[in-house]
Amino acid sequence: MTAERAATRVRSRGLAAEPASALPAGAVRRDREPSRGSWLACCNPTVKFAVLFVASIAVMVLFDPVPVLVLYAAALVAALASARVSPRTLAVGQLPFVAFAVGIVSVNALSRPGTELWPDLPVRITVEGVTIGLALALRAMFIGVLAISFLATTPPRDLLVSLMLHARLSPRYAHALLAGHRMLEAMPQRWATIRAAQSVRAPLRRNGRPRFGPVDAARAAFALLVAQVRASERIALALESRGLGDGPRTVWRPVPLGARDIVLVVVVVAALAVVLVASATGWLTIAALVEPSVFIHGGRRA
Amino acid sequence: MTRLAGRAPRLQLRDIVLMVMLGAVFGFLYWALVQAWNALAVAMGPAGDLAQHVVFGGWLLVAPIAVAIIRRPFVGVIAEVIASIIEVVFLGSPVGAPLLLAALLQGVGSELPFAVTRYRRFSWLLFAISGALGALLVFGYSAARYDWWGQDILLLRLGMQIVSGIVLGGLLAKVIVDALARTGVLDEFAIGRAGHTPRTTARRGGQASASSRRAEAAAEVAEAETAIGAEAESGDSAAPPRPVGPAASADDAADRTLRDGR
Repeated sequence: MTAERAATRVRSRGLAAEPASALPAGAVRRDREPSRGSWLACCNPTVKFAVLFVASIAVMVLFDPVPVLVLYAAALVAALASARVSPRTLAVGQLPFVAFAVGIVSVNALSRPGTELWPDLPVRITVEGVTIGLALALRAMFIGVLAISFLATTPPRDLLVSLMLHARLSPRYAHALLAGHRMLEAMPQRWATIRAAQSVRAPLRRNGRPRFGPVDAARAAFALLVAQVRASERIALALESRGLGDGPRTVWRPVPLGARDIVLVVVVVAALAVVLVASATGWLTIAALVEPSVFIHGGRRA
Repeated sequence: MTRLAGRAPRLQLRDIVLMVMLGAVFGFLYWALVQAWNALAVAMGPAGDLAQHVVFGGWLLVAPIAVAIIRRPFVGVIAEVIASIIEVVFLGSPVGAPLLLAALLQGVGSELPFAVTRYRRFSWLLFAISGALGALLVFGYSAARYDWWGQDILLLRLGMQIVSGIVLGGLLAKVIVDALARTGVLDEFAIGRAGHTPRTTARRGGQASASSRRAEAAAEVAEAETAIGAEAESGDSAAPPRPVGPAASADDAADRTLRDGR
């Protein structure tokens, strides 16, 4: 078998699948054709990242599905409008969460004590379990939409330049990270080369194909690691020879920071505040919607 | 300018790039682990949520490896955070920004035992403690995040996560570091300068098994071969014995170590 054919064969397999095709859709298209024209794409990457972080943390205090659902719907609309992410990208990017969501809802429904939903069933399914499970699943979906919008509108290079300019990230780390990004892009190729080399020497199975089991995968991963350690030494040498870390530096094509970013922060913080306050005061909870009497009597769940 | 270099002396650029590279490789492997986690979650059906505890330790790997190689304060924390940045920003991890916070806790937990010994001891026990602490610290965070406190299976979760942390996040890290050290690619880093190659530790501990002796012999032969090769090429006998040439020879050495080491 030629190395080329081996590489093709390797690429068509599970773990060895070409990571470009296996990565979330948003992550892949970002570099090729970032939706640069969108409103969000013109925002400052550091501000976007901070907003994403704050929103992800804020949603963690919510254990009721209704306010999280409201935030999720708002994030979907914002992703379609301000980030111009296509509905298909959004759907594909959220696929990994479906399995997670199903798991988290079922485990919570089965393992959380409380009021039984259907007492006739042989297993115990509680109202509290389903409620919290739904909230947690929706929370993951919400964070996922934010992450997809961020990735679709932010080239990594702009983020790192902006972090150097506006978040005072050390250029030594920033340039190392940029180099790491390049290494990551070259990694599928390295992996294919290693696999091709290994399959030339691998014992053949009965059907004439080279063996590729977990041990072979581990060996390939280790060879990749060794090759990367060597590559990192070469890169460090190259960066050092360009005087990285010596004296003040200028930045080519700086990333702007402007009024648009203030709008972004104000809008997101206001939306979060409204939902959090509404949830805390009992206006926006599942109890208020499902059982109005509970809501009238003090606004809290029984 | 460099916030991280406030108290400790600055890290060398080579160490920073190595951490980023480890972050990239493990970000890539972590990403594969997420797929394994998802597959496992589907296979486990209604108990799918527990699958994360089985594979959890895998996400701790990069911190003890970086600490053992570079042997400087905060390296484990930085490496774990870099890996999460690679995952979130470059690979598009669906978990998003909260991953950075989890990574910070994992890094602190994993680095703590090594910090206590002032980065001088790297025994199996310390690696195991490192994995357990990394798993324990982030467990509190996850428990608050997913409100596990009210569930019947809290202790089961904790137990699974700590075992996974010890095996995948502690002991496996030691195996990887030792294997890497045997290939010679780490000779220029702190681990190589300290002479803490697996050979010497095995002798000191007096626990060298037949297989590790075989691995030693193989490594020695490999070193001798490359030393002779290097000498023949450069004529400099004082050069440290390390495999020369780019990917091909590194792959060979890596291959040889794994085949003989098992």
